Amino acid sequence: MTRVKLPPWLVLLLPAFIIIAAVVLVPLLLSLYSSFTPYHLTRPDTLWKVNFPFNYQKALTDANFWAAFGRTVLLLTVALNLEMLLGLGLALMVSKVTQGQRLLRTAMMFPMMFSPILVGFQFKFIFNDNVGLVNNALQSLGLADRAIPWLVDGNLALFAIICAEVWTSTSVFAILILAGLYAIPQDPLEAAKVDGCSPWQSFRFVTLPFLMPFIYIAMAIRSLDVARAYDIVQVMTNGGPARRTELLWTLIGRTGYVDARMGYANAMGYVAILLSIAFTVYFFLKLQRARRDLGMGD
Amino acid sequence: MASVTRHRLNKRLLRAGHLIGLFVAMTVICLPGLWVVLNSFRPTVEIMAKPPVWIPNDLNLDHYRAMFGGAGEGGVPVWTYFRNSLIVSVTSTLIALLVGMAGGYAFARCRFKRKSTAFVVLMASRAVPGVALSLPLFIIFGRTGIIDTHFGLILVYVAMNVPFTIWLIDGFFRQVPRELAEAAEIDGCTRWQAFWKVEFPVARAGIASAGIFAFLTSWNEYALASQLTRSVTSKTMPVGLLDFTSQFTLNWGGMCALAVLMILPALVLTFIVQKHLIAGLTFGGVKG
Amino acid sequence: MARFASASVLAIVAAGSAAAQDQFAGTTIEAKLIGGQQYEALYSRIADWEAATGGKVSIISQKNHFELDKEYKADIAAGTVGWCVGSNHSSFASQYPTLFTDLTPLVPAETVGEFVPGNIAAATLDGRLVMLPRAQFDVSALYYQKSLYEDAGKAKAFAAKYGYDLAVPETWAQVRDQAEFFAAPPNFYGTQFAGKDEAIVGRFYELLVAEGGTFLNEDGSPAFNSPEGAKALQWFVDLYKAGAVPPGTTNYLWDDLGNGFASGTVALNLDWPGWSGFFNDPKSSKVAGNVGVAPAPKGGAGVRSGWSGFHGFSVTETCPDKEAAASLVAFLTNEDSQKLEAAAGPLPSRTAVWDHVIAQAKDDPYRSEVLAAFQETAATAFAVPPTPYWIEATNLVYPELQAAILGDKTAEQALADASDAVDELMQENGVY
Repeated sequence: MTRVKLPPWLVLLLPAFIIIAAVVLVPLLLSLYSSFTPYHLTRPDTLWKVNFPFNYQKALTDANFWAAFGRTVLLLTVALNLEMLLGLGLALMVSKVTQGQRLLRTAMMFPMMFSPILVGFQFKFIFNDNVGLVNNALQSLGLADRAIPWLVDGNLALFAIICAEVWTSTSVFAILILAGLYAIPQDPLEAAKVDGCSPWQSFRFVTLPFLMPFIYIAMAIRSLDVARAYDIVQVMTNGGPARRTELLWTLIGRTGYVDARMGYANAMGYVAILLSIAFTVYFFLKLQRARRDLGMGD
Repeated sequence: MASVTRHRLNKRLLRAGHLIGLFVAMTVICLPGLWVVLNSFRPTVEIMAKPPVWIPNDLNLDHYRAMFGGAGEGGVPVWTYFRNSLIVSVTSTLIALLVGMAGGYAFARCRFKRKSTAFVVLMASRAVPGVALSLPLFIIFGRTGIIDTHFGLILVYVAMNVPFTIWLIDGFFRQVPRELAEAAEIDGCTRWQAFWKVEFPVARAGIASAGIFAFLTSWNEYALASQLTRSVTSKTMPVGLLDFTSQFTLNWGGMCALAVLMILPALVLTFIVQKHLIAGLTFGGVKG
Repeated sequence: MARFASASVLAIVAAGSAAAQDQFAGTTIEAKLIGGQQYEALYSRIADWEAATGGKVSIISQKNHFELDKEYKADIAAGTVGWCVGSNHSSFASQYPTLFTDLTPLVPAETVGEFVPGNIAAATLDGRLVMLPRAQFDVSALYYQKSLYEDAGKAKAFAAKYGYDLAVPETWAQVRDQAEFFAAPPNFYGTQFAGKDEAIVGRFYELLVAEGGTFLNEDGSPAFNSPEGAKALQWFVDLYKAGAVPPGTTNYLWDDLGNGFASGTVALNLDWPGWSGFFNDPKSSKVAGNVGVAPAPKGGAGVRSGWSGFHGFSVTETCPDKEAAASLVAFLTNEDSQKLEAAAGPLPSRTAVWDHVIAQAKDDPYRSEVLAAFQETAATAFAVPPTPYWIEATNLVYPELQAAILGDKTAEQALADASDAVDELMQENGVY
């Protein structure tokens, strides 16, 4: 009897890998297979016919698919950057407060308590053109004399969705960046002050580099968390009107569940997964570089 | 002399700007949420009024009363949903934290081949959208009989939260100088003791925030829960929100009332965990 | 009430041929029932069925219809169909051809004969009776604000402008004129329509029929790209262009429409019977006391619009005890069950219960007006085309309709594109 001794890192990581394999990898293989078939939910026998590469061809030659693809990239880019900037500003402001910080921090995290599905309904009502909060406020203040169709006009609808998305997720950035701000060593900051750096200079050359890993962590986490955007968009506009706010996720969700064409939906899903992974890897590489610059990585 | 006054003026302006900025930011953050809270106390006719009613003149508990009422009067099994949500979220958060701490520690401290690849693979697993997973998961869960159970949901949420947790905790462990733990080991601690006495307290901030994130993610998750739960034995509160919609109607006031019951515990928990968060954060700050 | 209940139990016992109270003792029926306030009052009667037959019912899923629809599809896919009774809807039923069993051999013919024949026809797919309708029949009639028609100044201005007297509209062309006339955005709109998903396609479909067109040909190929289709679509386009509907209407679903009319900002509203109580209740509606209801208007072909649907209960093909399941379904749709449901406002699907509710309402002028309008509309109502691809087709058609309404495309172009997409869908599925 020889006992195999696993290296410690493997022992430590094994639980994580097992759970993820069970919940993500296995289903993923199943759906990969089904993307090669004309699988239709209500006709189970269609799972056994392989029609590769029909689904992929259909997806890649579909103009609606590419429009949704482009819009998803656009939304992710705009929302992530906006959230990052606003979160950074918020964290800086909150960190400077000396009294009542605990309350302020909790208030700052308030939007995180809202389930994305609730946020969808909430902003749908806020942006309703007839009885919505925004239009009512604008009209009561005399800033608008007509009903602005927030959820219908192409640009406004994307704007409304980005508003909802930014509202829920800026807190995530703010709290992570705040954590980063507290972890910054004081010595270099004091040294910078002694050397006569302006507040802007010490922010730019001392604080910010230290914050970068935290910012990239937040960016990557958020770029992964697209499911949130799905719930919100599905409730607010469901991709409409006239496909003006169609994102990959709403398109896939509708094709898969409402139209029951799972094979085709999964094929589109795979293209979407590759997109998400590209975002993740990008931020991960950025994170590694930022860490190397700080001498923390290996 | 003049420059000193100007300097003071600048400082005062800066402070005023800071306060105003903070006030505006907090207003924007809190208003849409407070609007939901307010709506839960207003009759539907006032919520949907046109021209709008800005100053509520009829606040009451009707939506709450209806919600706790019997079936057919707008009643919703609130406590059952609440219990399901609590069991699922708390259990999955604790497990995700344990698994994540182990994993985060491995990434921050151990050296092994293909570390970056392993890390990216872990993170990429989070990139898989719920839409792509829900059906295969449903089929597997259906075959193994764990559909509509707490266990099934907990399993899914652990898997969802582990990459997050690992990533966050890894980042915080990295902030702890390796020498600190090594010094403790030289002082006669075992590796295990060194971890609990030295590294864990420093990384507590990371663990606390990972915990908040994991809890809130599970507490608020809808897309997968709506597929994997079916009856009151496992339906969670976000899924319960949909009880207020039917084919033609949507009871927004009632939905708000349930939402308030959903938000309150999360808010209280966050407020409590804040304390640990602060302790951990300051410690890390001093030590860096 | 108790007397009625025992009478109907007798009927079931007779039908089931067994003698005693414990006819289904030891049987547990697993059921998936639609959830939501409007639908759940009926489920209190399940206890009566349990007491009468000795069977047990376990509700294993309770969700709204769209979620239930997803769940059924997932069930078919996963093979988890061991349950027995499920809520069903006439617009969805054709999507699950293998899931539910034919009720004809399980329910006596005379029972089936007591339902409104049109409803039974719509519940019969390929000669199989897939569900029994409950008292949740839906067709849309025209709600309006009465005060608008009592204003002499408005009547004069209208007659001067349009050359005919202002009266509650009887045709869709009149609705268009009046909606444009009443509109005063942003505080008041002439009318509104559901603008997305199956809802807009349904509205387009009923206008198309009212104009004399059809949606699908006999062989399943699209037929809506026709002059009638163009006329129907143009109606939506004109109203949107004229600003007679709220500018957000293409993002509206039923709840937005109901709340919009209740807010008092909409003159004419084609809507479902379920809202009638809501609109006339001062606690929920600002137009309470000012609501009139007229039958759905007619289109250019003299046909009344009347896209209709109803909820019902079905029994699965894989149910181990179909007798018991069918007995439960029959019980939940019997006369007493329908009377209970219809008392709260929804429309029945049994002839005798229609008579009953109308007699009940004779002292309530508003309720009588509502029932008269809906009964008139129901007489010529029609269901969606009986194809399993209806829902899928609507998902292809609605973005095109929206594009035309918002002015991204012309009506003709939009219909041509939608028709091509539906044609491709049908061919891909081997329909022809």
